[in-house]
Amino acid sequence: MLCKIAWGNVRRAGKDYLIYLLTLTLAVTVFYAFNTISIQVDLAGVSEQNSGMGDLLGGVISGLTVFLAVVMGFLMVYANNFIMKRRKKEFGLYQVLGMSRGQVARIMTLETLFVSLAALVLGIICGLALSQVMVFFTASIFKTQIADFHFFFSLEAFCTTVGCLAAIFVVTLIFNLRVVARAKVIDLMGAGRKNEIIRVRNPWLSAAIFIAGIAAIGVAYVRLLDQGLPYDGQPEGMRDFLITTVTVVVGTILMFYGLSGFLLKALQGVRGLYWRGLNMVTMRQLAAKVNTVSMSMAVIAMILFLAITSVTTGMSLADTMNNTVERGTPVDYTRCLVYWGPRSVAEMNSRKAYAEDDVVYAVATGPVDMMAAGKNDIMNPDTPEAKPFDLASIAGSYVQVDAFDSTPRDGDHPVVSLGDLCEAVDMPLPAGTENSDMTTLGLMVIDESTYNKYLRFRGMEPIELGENGYTITSDMGATVNDVYNKVLGEGIKLEIGGRALTPVQDRVPEDASTFQNAMMGMNSGTIVLPDDLVASLNLPLYYSYLMLNYADGVSVEEGDAYVAAPRTYSDVLNEAGESIAGWGTEASRTVTYESVDSMNGLISYLAIYIGFVLVLACAAILTIQQLSGVAEAGANYRILSELGTATDQIAHSVLAQQTIFFLFPLVVGIAHAMVALKVIIELVALFGGMSIGGTVGLTTLIFVVAYGGYFCVTYLMSRGMVHEATLARHAA
Amino acid sequence: MKTAGANGAPVLEVRHIEKVYGTRNNATHALRDVSFTVEEGDFIGIMGASGSGKSTLLNCISTIDAVTSGTVLVHGTDVTRLKAKKLARFRREQLGFIFQDSNLLDTLTVRENIALPLTISRVPAHDVLIRVEEVARRLGIAETLEKYPYQLSGGQQQRVAAARALVTDPAIIMADEPTGALDSKNARLLLESLETMNERYRATVLMVTHDSFAASYTHRVLFIRDGRIFTELRRGDAPRQAFFERIMEVVAMMGGDGSDAL
Ligand SMILES: Nc1ncnc2c1ncn2[C@@H]1O[C@H](COP(=O)(O)OP(=O)(O)O)[C@@H](O)[C@H]1O
Ligand SMILES: [Mg+2]
Repeated sequence: MLCKIAWGNVRRAGKDYLIYLLTLTLAVTVFYAFNTISIQVDLAGVSEQNSGMGDLLGGVISGLTVFLAVVMGFLMVYANNFIMKRRKKEFGLYQVLGMSRGQVARIMTLETLFVSLAALVLGIICGLALSQVMVFFTASIFKTQIADFHFFFSLEAFCTTVGCLAAIFVVTLIFNLRVVARAKVIDLMGAGRKNEIIRVRNPWLSAAIFIAGIAAIGVAYVRLLDQGLPYDGQPEGMRDFLITTVTVVVGTILMFYGLSGFLLKALQGVRGLYWRGLNMVTMRQLAAKVNTVSMSMAVIAMILFLAITSVTTGMSLADTMNNTVERGTPVDYTRCLVYWGPRSVAEMNSRKAYAEDDVVYAVATGPVDMMAAGKNDIMNPDTPEAKPFDLASIAGSYVQVDAFDSTPRDGDHPVVSLGDLCEAVDMPLPAGTENSDMTTLGLMVIDESTYNKYLRFRGMEPIELGENGYTITSDMGATVNDVYNKVLGEGIKLEIGGRALTPVQDRVPEDASTFQNAMMGMNSGTIVLPDDLVASLNLPLYYSYLMLNYADGVSVEEGDAYVAAPRTYSDVLNEAGESIAGWGTEASRTVTYESVDSMNGLISYLAIYIGFVLVLACAAILTIQQLSGVAEAGANYRILSELGTATDQIAHSVLAQQTIFFLFPLVVGIAHAMVALKVIIELVALFGGMSIGGTVGLTTLIFVVAYGGYFCVTYLMSRGMVHEATLARHAA
Repeated sequence: MKTAGANGAPVLEVRHIEKVYGTRNNATHALRDVSFTVEEGDFIGIMGASGSGKSTLLNCISTIDAVTSGTVLVHGTDVTRLKAKKLARFRREQLGFIFQDSNLLDTLTVRENIALPLTISRVPAHDVLIRVEEVARRLGIAETLEKYPYQLSGGQQQRVAAARALVTDPAIIMADEPTGALDSKNARLLLESLETMNERYRATVLMVTHDSFAASYTHRVLFIRDGRIFTELRRGDAPRQAFFERIMEVVAMMGGDGSDAL
């Protein structure tokens, strides 16, 4: 019997429940689909290329799942509240007719259960479909081939989804039962009436609050643009940033709080416009609505801001890596050797007392021949095929570049540092470098003949420094290179080792600055000095780079396989048997490209996921609010129609209101995001020119599809509701 | 028979209208062959028991509801054949409505509520404000113009609704039980307003009521029973008290299910 009533109710209140059902179904769909990520990664062939990626993504996604579940729960409680508000009266009526509270509560439980089950079934079906499609999407993001595609179902994802839905169901139920248990019958019956009383705010006060909100936002913008992000974690920086954040949040809330009053006053100022057609109805309805939802509009604006910022930043980072990886991989294979510096040698030797091993460390007196030293490594150890790692067996052309630390063995200060150069050209330190080693430790140093050897190897023209010339190489992003370019361009004279030096180039040779394969710039500044000057400075060795192309008879696959084979790493010793250096990173071009693809895939995937979910949640909340608003205003629309307003005109008024509702938070979110992105770009530009251009396209598309889709659905449903309301005969 | 023309045509001519609700096997015949004519400046009452078809008749005339058959001519134009756009315009320009519940927009102030029919018709803002002020003064609600409907008493709300109906200078004012939700003092105030509108401003008024006292303010009363015009009373030059007694007699004569509802 109760079951029958509940089922009847769901069908009768279909329109209200439809929104709830839609939102819940969408949530289940996205939830299930994204939780199948580890299976997708397998199917898309990502794990063959990068075995850790599936687990990594799976781990990150399950973390996000918690976040998503919270968002989803919030949404459901919201959608449910909307239904409850509209049905309080009905539940009151049941009690007047003699049903016990327990029975009413059971009816409600059953109703929620029906809808949740329907959403689960629909959502899982859509989620199954979406997850199959997403395999192709995943493959394209990670640039892999789908090895063997087959239909799949993830029990794990299914269980997580059901678990989350059950939790949300319980939370919603507790909310609902409290409504029934707490409310007196008389209140329930009067619920319809009470809603009609509209709190009206003083429009002048509202307008003033709106202006104050705008002012606060403006102040926060200026502060952020001025101070940048506190990437270094300095307490003052963090405090300033916190103040800025609070200011912008408060400003946003104030602005939305005062929005309706401001709009009303502004439009009333133009008499001809206000007293024309349905304009005043539109404004008043908007004002009445904004008063009750200003807080959630502010929250939505902030969420949209977060979504836009994270998606754009993520996609742009991925883009940056794509752009820099080509310049960053000039040869088939690179290997790097790290020399122990004077200070580290002293420290490591003094610590020897505690150490088990009896290695003695020493400062290198001259560069190590990397090709020869590499032969001490053993490939495929403990197998019959064990043999020395002899790069000569695969090498075609190769070059070794030896770079020095710019702080002399017996000195405390670098002969040239980024800080010095900034001072010389009167520029601030680039964002993000204020407290880094780059600033204090100084540039690396290589001598002219080494650099010319490198240039000839790369097929470029050698340079001529003469007695007193210098130049600077760097493959970092614009923020650092702007400083170097200005130093070179202005012909700044440097005083090094008692010699006055002038630049021989007028800008950084960015394409002749890369010494090792990497997805982003690694050379943050290397000064090239005349040979005799370098020799006289008594600088300790810092790095040796080996750059190598495979021989003609060696294919890329063979070469890659040779350098990727398992092997031991031996210490690099001098003649006295002391350790002078350790092996650093090595990378083939292929591996670098692959890790760029994986990295891009990971970042894009997360960015899209987060952005999609957040935008979806915001749009769903707006839709629920708008539809409930139209339902409440149904009587008003009927009156308008009876007064002789064409339905089209009423629909226009509704469209105007909804456009403002959907557009305002978006505009505010975009404005916030643009300011934040400006600061973020400065920071990220350090690692290579971060460009927003290419990625904005995809970001925009996601937004337009999700947000715009919700907007259209909202408007079309509203128009239907207006039609219905105006058709209904006046109940006399 | 007079030919229907723009000049000389009666304000309203109802010819043989029928209204059937529901499906063929479950039909309610709400109106059966109703015909009557209203001249310019008439004040007509429509009386009948609950469910006799009064509201249906009013809704059919005002095109809020569609007739099943028959015609309704307003100034000679058949409004049952108008298309949606023209219909909205007809309602806007020719009719004024007052309902039992005042049907004001709760989000608008009194001034805006009264102005609504004018702004919908795109009357210039300057004229809108002048006309609203004037009609509000006539109905004694000038002080409430800046208030919201929920801040007014039921009687005031009903007068605001009347002001909204009058502000466009409609050909016919339609009132469906306008005093139904009012106490006797407020009911009298509203009826006097309608009387003033009719006598001083020559407004044509069509008022549905089941209250004999309210009906006694009119010039002519149509009695409806089971969807048919049962009989009709004309006041002529009789004073209101005498007319009231004659109405009471008819109500008593209709008897049975009629009297208990009246
Ligand atoms: N929309 C409708 N659908 C079906 N029947 C209706 C509808 N509106 C009114 N009726 C029926 O038509 C008859 C006349 O109703 P109505 O005109 O409202 O009476 P009154 O206003 O005189 O009380 C009643 O029997 C009523 O049940
Ligand atoms: Mg009625």
